[in-house]
Amino acid sequence: MNNLILGRYLPGNSFIHQMSPQSKLLLTFYFVAIIFLANNVITYAILSVLIIAAILLSGISVSFFIKGIRPMIWLIIFTVILQILFSAGGKVLWHWGPFTITQLGLVNGGFVFVRFLLIIMISTVLTLTTSPLAIADGVQTILKPLKKVKFPVDTLALMLSIALRFVPTLMDEMTTIMNAQRSRGVDFGSGSLKQRIKTAVPLLIPLFTGAINHAEELSTAMEARGFTDSEHRSKYRVYHWQVKDTLTWVVFLLVGGLIFFVRK
Amino acid sequence: MANIITVDHLSFEYNEKTPVFKDLSMAVKAGEWLAVIGQNGSGKSTLAKLIDGLLEFDTGTITVGGLILNYENLAAIRDQIGIVFQNPDNQFVGATVEEDVAFGLENRQVPREQMVKLVEKNLKLVNMWNFKDRIPASLSGGQKQRVAIAGILAVEPQIIILDEATSMLDPLGRQDIIQLIRQLKAERNLTVISITHDINEAALADRVLLLNQGEVVEETTPAQIFEETDKLTHYGLDTPFVVQLAQRLRDQNIPIPKQYMDEKELIQWLQTYNSTK
Amino acid sequence: MAANIQFDQVSYTYQAGSPEAHEALSDVSLTISADSYTAIIGHTGSGKSTLIQHINALLKPTNGTVTVGDFTIDNQTTNKNLRPLRKQVGMVFQFPEKQLFEETVIKDIMFGPKNYGASDEEALQAGLKAMDLVGLPQKYQDTAPLDLSGGQMRRVAIAGVLAMQPEILILDEPTAGLDPRGHDEIMQLVQQLHEQQHMTIVVVTHQMDDVIQAADQVVVMSAGTVQKVGTPAQIFSDKKWVKQMQLTLPTSTAFAAKLKAAGFPLMDVPLGLDQLTMAITQTLRGDSHE
Repeated sequence: MNNLILGRYLPGNSFIHQMSPQSKLLLTFYFVAIIFLANNVITYAILSVLIIAAILLSGISVSFFIKGIRPMIWLIIFTVILQILFSAGGKVLWHWGPFTITQLGLVNGGFVFVRFLLIIMISTVLTLTTSPLAIADGVQTILKPLKKVKFPVDTLALMLSIALRFVPTLMDEMTTIMNAQRSRGVDFGSGSLKQRIKTAVPLLIPLFTGAINHAEELSTAMEARGFTDSEHRSKYRVYHWQVKDTLTWVVFLLVGGLIFFVRK
Repeated sequence: MANIITVDHLSFEYNEKTPVFKDLSMAVKAGEWLAVIGQNGSGKSTLAKLIDGLLEFDTGTITVGGLILNYENLAAIRDQIGIVFQNPDNQFVGATVEEDVAFGLENRQVPREQMVKLVEKNLKLVNMWNFKDRIPASLSGGQKQRVAIAGILAVEPQIIILDEATSMLDPLGRQDIIQLIRQLKAERNLTVISITHDINEAALADRVLLLNQGEVVEETTPAQIFEETDKLTHYGLDTPFVVQLAQRLRDQNIPIPKQYMDEKELIQWLQTYNSTK
Repeated sequence: MAANIQFDQVSYTYQAGSPEAHEALSDVSLTISADSYTAIIGHTGSGKSTLIQHINALLKPTNGTVTVGDFTIDNQTTNKNLRPLRKQVGMVFQFPEKQLFEETVIKDIMFGPKNYGASDEEALQAGLKAMDLVGLPQKYQDTAPLDLSGGQMRRVAIAGVLAMQPEILILDEPTAGLDPRGHDEIMQLVQQLHEQQHMTIVVVTHQMDDVIQAADQVVVMSAGTVQKVGTPAQIFSDKKWVKQMQLTLPTSTAFAAKLKAAGFPLMDVPLGLDQLTMAITQTLRGDSHE
């Protein structure tokens, strides 16, 4: 579990770290979309080169990156095996009961494998280089047009930002409460399902009580600092669109066009 | 000195069973340091919240800087008061140090260019500029309180209320925050209200207000109240160390004068007494 | 039978193997003898909490061994069979009132004993006895913990630990956030448990005045290592070193230092009001006899 890096953030100052979160988010979606356009060796090769460039530009050590996505490989291999066993067409290589391995199946399986890997790699690059808070800001910027239809984008963003800020605090509190109850003889994570549910009570009740307490005091403090509503505020944290963003978009769009032309 | 805050015939209760204030009147003078002392449950933190309009009271009047506390004046009154609360974690709103300092400015819709300048200036003032990118989880309690103070100073209030702001800090963190407030008070002519049960913090005040069960028991100078050691003990408070020491020495027939002396004065007295013998 | 606590070259690394790994304890060797009252001091982040969590195996050493009576804890120790150890070592965390969860005071106090296999009746008896020890009147047994004052809630939490009848009691800043009266009550309670129940006490604290009043052994930590072990007098005799450890002096010792600096001759390092009064009186009388 500890090795898994999908969803983790590593602070840094690389080219990719410095890009604005909204453009990183949109580029990730765009990249996933063009992956589905790819359908031959050349197109996959082009996308692989692009993602390798992205990893290198993210400043994260390649060995750490590979070690981190290794736990995901089994999930991919499982999917690929299903794909190979159940897809038909082409020359039959092996046959047993309902299972058939065909030449086309193998090729497709290979493509699915690469596709999966590419999606995992781009998402990992995104989360490793963008803090959860920046991602929330990116989402806020992207959703901004929804304000016109009275969707509370700003309130949502502030809520998300505060929730994220309290994650480490609550994690610390959870560890302390677990340790305190362990010292009183609770054995977390063992025994029957019924016992496990029973041991959750002395953990969850104090955790909730604590969280409510935080919320109450925090809302008092926010009010004391002049907070009334989340719509009428100026914003300190902004992400400027930079040359880096434009440059990356140009490259990605060119690659998209290229793929469109060299695909079968 | 004119009063900057007046509280007149205030009554307040959380629920019918437990009235906090029945008929409280008090005042804070502009530019003074007032310590509000009393044991837990005496109503001292509630008083701070009432003055800032964070709780609605039943009857009575509160005036802050010439404005009567009501719904229309609420925002203007909150511009004049900054509160540093007890729990450093529960007042840190921003994701990082600089963003937390900006929170009050964002609420007042200060333009960003101006915010950037104010955040830098005030973080430098509390010596936390080098920590501007840090997340709260990586700061000590004392550092978080410094950030809270910077966030308050950024909106330039006239009154700072310390609501047991040092009670969750270690002794060095405590000294550090008090030192900072003393310096800021001198530089900016602030009015400081420190709500505390730390008698050494109260010793720094110009005036002390002793609260017990929602009533003002005594309103006087630290020197005056520190002589009444029985009263302090009776209301669950400590006696300052120098007062205890002077008492012990008197018991040993050392002719220490009756009136309160702070640490410096006592050392001076002992030194003089010893050398003139 | 009372148990000694022994740390033998203990190191502990948080998140070993990840880019964020950091060593919180490094090569700690330490003996805390049965029936002692030990204070652990050190500035925030010096490794105090990591240290005490090894005593009941909430953390297991990355290297080295911890021995508590017959138990040995090392990096091979599994989470099985730890109950007898944890029953023997009572642990009161910082702000322990945060761990309360039952609807009534007595149920919360009985929680520990019942986990360790006590019958309802046994747990109730142990619970009532613990309430008595911490000075909570029995009329509170059916009150909801959240309806009590902060100081009372803390006593409920401590009673919940005492009800397991531990031989060793570990407390992490037991008086944090309490008012002076609450502070004194808790310190008196701990003193009484030490003297009357003969419990081994290990307390983590920032209050140097409490240290000199109660502890017979002081452990000073800094950067994950034990810097010095000694009596309060030994620890506070070198005030430069104390400052270097980012610690404060006891009030009386600090006052004595200032008095000395002002040119007032004083013998020894007075710990506490009594000693300081005596030292000052001696100087004043000594001079007058000459």
